[in-house]
Amino acid sequence: MKIVIAEDAAILRDGLIQLLTDRGHEVAAAVGDGDALRAAVAEHDPDVAVVDIRMPPSFTDEGLRAAIAIRRERPNVGVLVFSQWVETRYAAELLATSSSGVGYLLKDRVADVSEFVEALTRVAAGGTALDPEVVSQLLGASRRGDALAALTPREREVLGLMAEGRSNVAIARQLVVTERAVEKHVANIFTKLDLPPSGEDHRRVLAVLRYLES
Amino acid sequence: MTWQADPTMIDQTLPPPTLPRAGGRWRAFLRAPISKHTWACFLYLVISGPLAVAGFMFVVGFLAFGVFSAITFVGLPLIGFTVVSGRWWARLHRRLARKMVGARVEDPAPFQRRPGLLGWLSAALTDTTGWRALVYLVLKFPLAVVGAFGAALFWVEAVITFLYPVWWKIGDPTNKDSHGRIHHSALQFGDFFFETWPRALMVMVVGFVALFLAPWPVRAVVALDGVLMRWLIGPRRSDRVRELEEKRSHAVEDSAAALRRIERDLHDGTQARLVALAMRLGQARETDDPERLRELVGNAHDNAKDAIAELRDLVRGIHPPVLDQGLDAALATLAARSAVPVELHTHVPQRPSPAIETIAYFCVAELITNIAKHSGARHANVQAFERDARLHLEVRDDGHGGARIGAGTGLSGLDERVRTVDGALTVHSPPGGPTVIAVELPLGG
Repeated sequence: MKIVIAEDAAILRDGLIQLLTDRGHEVAAAVGDGDALRAAVAEHDPDVAVVDIRMPPSFTDEGLRAAIAIRRERPNVGVLVFSQWVETRYAAELLATSSSGVGYLLKDRVADVSEFVEALTRVAAGGTALDPEVVSQLLGASRRGDALAALTPREREVLGLMAEGRSNVAIARQLVVTERAVEKHVANIFTKLDLPPSGEDHRRVLAVLRYLES
Repeated sequence: MTWQADPTMIDQTLPPPTLPRAGGRWRAFLRAPISKHTWACFLYLVISGPLAVAGFMFVVGFLAFGVFSAITFVGLPLIGFTVVSGRWWARLHRRLARKMVGARVEDPAPFQRRPGLLGWLSAALTDTTGWRALVYLVLKFPLAVVGAFGAALFWVEAVITFLYPVWWKIGDPTNKDSHGRIHHSALQFGDFFFETWPRALMVMVVGFVALFLAPWPVRAVVALDGVLMRWLIGPRRSDRVRELEEKRSHAVEDSAAALRRIERDLHDGTQARLVALAMRLGQARETDDPERLRELVGNAHDNAKDAIAELRDLVRGIHPPVLDQGLDAALATLAARSAVPVELHTHVPQRPSPAIETIAYFCVAELITNIAKHSGARHANVQAFERDARLHLEVRDDGHGGARIGAGTGLSGLDERVRTVDGALTVHSPPGGPTVIAVELPLGG
C-alpha cells in the first residue's frame, strides 16, 4: 500500500512510519497539518491516508475537514482518521460525505498492530473501519432506539461488528459461531430494520449506519 | 476618618494603627503642629480653595445659562457639557487630594458614550456620576470658604494670642475702663485687663495650647472633604459591582484557559507518548527478530520514561507539591531551578491562603522564566514580604529592560490573574533596565 500520514505529534508520526514500513508498506509522505496533507495527497495519489483529527493551526478538527475534502475530491483515496477520543458528530460527518473508503479509529488501536494494519488495508480497498467505541456511541445516540429495541442482544452485537466494517467470516470468528449463524443474524437484522439485503459488505454497513443516523 | 495615607505621605508622628499606645497618641498630639501631614492638609486647603470657588462659579454659571437658554437649541447641550465637565473637575479634585493628603478616593467608572450627537446628549444628561460631581462642586464651595477660612483663622488667632506679650509691650496701647481709669492692655474682657506680666503670660499659655489645637480644625475640614469626595465623586456601589463582575469573568476565563492548557499538554504530550509506547509494545509482541525486539522494547522504555517526566512537569504545573510546605520553600525551589542566578529574600510570617500562595508562586515562576527568556539579565532578585496585611512580591533583574504589560511576555495574563483577587501588578522597566516588577496580593483569598 502507498500511504500518506498526517499527524502533528512527531513521536507518533515516526512510530507510524516505522510500523508501516516494517510491514512492507510504502509511506510516501508524512506531514503535520491539513493543508500539507491535501498537497501530499495531490502529489502522491496514495491508496490511503492516515489522518489525525486535531492538528495545527486550530487544533480542533483540521484533520477531519481535510479528510472530508479528500474524500470528495478523490474518491479512490481511502481515508482513515484517528484521534484520542471519540466524537460521534465527527464520525457522522465523515460517513455523510462518503459511502466507502473511510475509517475512524481511536489512536489506542495502533497498539494492536495487526488489527490496525488490517483496518487500514480494508479502508484502502474501499471498505470501512469504525472503532467499536464509535459504533457503540452511534448506536447509543441513535434516535431510532425503538427500532433497535426489536433486536436481540446477539443481533445487536452482530450489528455492531458489522458497523465496524467486519465481514461475516470475521464476525463468526470473533463471536465463535459458525458463518451460517452469522448470516442468519444479519438477515434477521435487515428484516427487523426494514433494509433490503445487498451483496457488498461495506454497503450494508453504511446502510445500517445511515439508518441509525436518520 | 477615612483617610488612608499613601506611603509617601504617611504621617510619621502617628503611631501605626496596630499599636494604639497612649504615649504614642500624646506624642502625635504634641507633634501635630509640625507634622508633615498637618502642613500637607493646610497646603491642600490653600490650593483647593480657589479651585473650589472656580468650580462653584463654573457650575452655577453654566447651569443657569443652560437652563435659561433651554428653549433654544444650545441649552440642553450646554447642560450636558456642564455635567460631563463635572467629571473633569472631580478628577482634578481627586488627584489633588490623593497627591497632597493621600486621600483614598478611587476613580468612578468612565463616561458611557453613546453614538451620535443625540446619543451623547442623552448619555451626558443622564450621567449620574457627572451630576454627583456637580453636587460635590456646589458643596465644596462653602466647605472650602467657611471651613478653610475658619481653620486658617483659628491658626492665625492662635499665633496672635501666643505672641500677646510681644505686641502688648511693643504697641503699649492705652485704654479706659467703665470707671474712667487708665489701663495699658491690648486685650480686655469687660473690666478685666491683661496688663500685668502674669496675665500676659496667661494669654500666651492659652495661645500656646491653641497652637496645638490649631492643626485639628484643618485636619477635620480635610477629613470632611474626604467624606464628601468618597460619597459624591468616588466609585458608586454599582461601579464596584461592575468591577467585581469583570473580575469574576476574568477568573472564569483564567480557569478555563488553565484547563485548556492542561488538556493540550496531556493530549500533545503524555497521551501521545503513551500511544507511541503501546504501539512499540504492540510491534514488539508481533516481531520474531530478537534484535528488533530489543530495539522496540528499548524505544518503549524511553517513551515510558518520557511520559513519566512529562506527567511530573504537568502535575507540578497544576499544583506544585512543594507549595504545601509554604511559599518560601516553593520560591526557594523556583530560585534554585532558575537558569539565571536568583537571590531570594522572603519574610512572610503570616501564611497567605492557598489560592494566594498559588498565584504568588506562578507569578514568580513566570517572571523568572521571562527574565531567563527575554531580559538578558545575569542576575535576578526576588523578594516576598508582608506589609499592611498584604503580600508583596518584588522581582528585579539587571537585564535590558523594556518589559511592559501586553508586550506578549505573559505579563498581561499575570496582571489579569492578580486582579481577580484584588491584587495589583506594576511594571517598572525603562529601556536599558533594570526591570522591577512588583506584585501586591491580599493575604486571604
